[in-house]
Amino acid sequence: MLLEKDMKLADIIIHDISLVPVISRFGILLGFGDESIEGVCKKKSIDIDFLLTILNAFHDPQYLDKKYLQSFSVDLLIQYLRKTHQYYLSNKIPEIECLIDKMELESTIDKSSYQLLQKFFKDYKTELVKHIDREEKVVYPYVLELNNAIANDEITSSLIEKIKKYSIKSYEEEHDNVEEKLTDLKNIIIKYLSPSQNQQSRFRLLKELTALEKDLAEHAIIEDLILVPKVELLEKNVLIS
Amino acid sequence: MSSTRKIIVVTNAFLFSSGIESLALELSGLLVEHVYTGSEKKLSQKIIGAKPEFVIIDPEAIKDSLIPLLRELNEDPEIITIGLVNSSTSDNIISRFSNTLNTTGNKFQLIEELQRIVGKEVAKSDNEQLISKRETEILKYLVMGYTNQDVADKLFLSIHTVMTHRKKINRKLGIKTVSGLTVYALMNNIVDIREVERSI
Repeated sequence: MLLEKDMKLADIIIHDISLVPVISRFGILLGFGDESIEGVCKKKSIDIDFLLTILNAFHDPQYLDKKYLQSFSVDLLIQYLRKTHQYYLSNKIPEIECLIDKMELESTIDKSSYQLLQKFFKDYKTELVKHIDREEKVVYPYVLELNNAIANDEITSSLIEKIKKYSIKSYEEEHDNVEEKLTDLKNIIIKYLSPSQNQQSRFRLLKELTALEKDLAEHAIIEDLILVPKVELLEKNVLIS
Repeated sequence: MSSTRKIIVVTNAFLFSSGIESLALELSGLLVEHVYTGSEKKLSQKIIGAKPEFVIIDPEAIKDSLIPLLRELNEDPEIITIGLVNSSTSDNIISRFSNTLNTTGNKFQLIEELQRIVGKEVAKSDNEQLISKRETEILKYLVMGYTNQDVADKLFLSIHTVMTHRKKINRKLGIKTVSGLTVYALMNNIVDIREVERSI
């Protein structure tokens, strides 16, 4: 289903509750009333094309509408991506850690298996933090620098050098694998952890892992299909001038 | 793993054919190969030619030629006939099918009935036999931190063979990353924690 601006936001959320964390990144909190997406955006002065693009990318990437790609700023995009990073680090990851810790604590016979899961997830976290760090400290500043230079018409030769040395293309090639590990973890829990009474905790853990997986996949789609093409365009503009 | 067991459905009612397809999905190993309407020409030849294990028939779809059709199908010892019946279906018709499914049943009842007819449950996969001896050996080296080339040298295999084994391991276990494989290997006592300490 393609989400459009005259649809009621409440209908969309009831249809796909995994969008709740997405709208909260835009400052839309549950209890937002019975308005259309457009109405909510007006009230909160949110860029509607941007919100729709993100919602559609998340809900069903098939409907990612490229025509809006150029209509919102890089600043907005990066602000959003930073918020998703924050959400992983301060919500999702701790939640999952907590669930695994709880299972380890409650386990009686198979403690060592849960300790392996703890260790696996700790390593995963380290990797994710490294990945996020690199984006926040290298990639995003580079993109913002490009954007500012074009906006203020201050293209320096050092910037041109930078583009030649480090273009967004090279960044595109480095990121994946963070999702693969989550799938592995899910398979281990589903297939290989020996059965015990804590089915409900396992189910919750699987749900959390699936939600994180989905959110990361959407994050990657936004980076690959929105951020990277936009930045490539910026790079081109700088090199031409 | 048992191989796929084929079902042919004879009905004019879309709700029946799609309902049976969705039931078949619930029981793995079952496949609805074809849905025929009652007016299909040379129906019995087509059904027998397809060599199905089960033929599910809606008596309403055939009416007059039902009894000759069932006689022909029942002569084939490989075919099990299943009638879609309800409380108003006559005993004369019910008795001609080797099995029946009650169309007024809820999903759970239908699955139970179908499962009883289809018989044997799908064999449960056994952890130990999931990957072969050779694959287990390769898995062990991989989680100990050896590269594909190291493993090839140690086992006197080509690197290509090692990669093929590796892909098979990934597919069979559903685990792609080395850290995931390490957890699996430790849980199943394929390696000792001290042997992998360097790599995790």
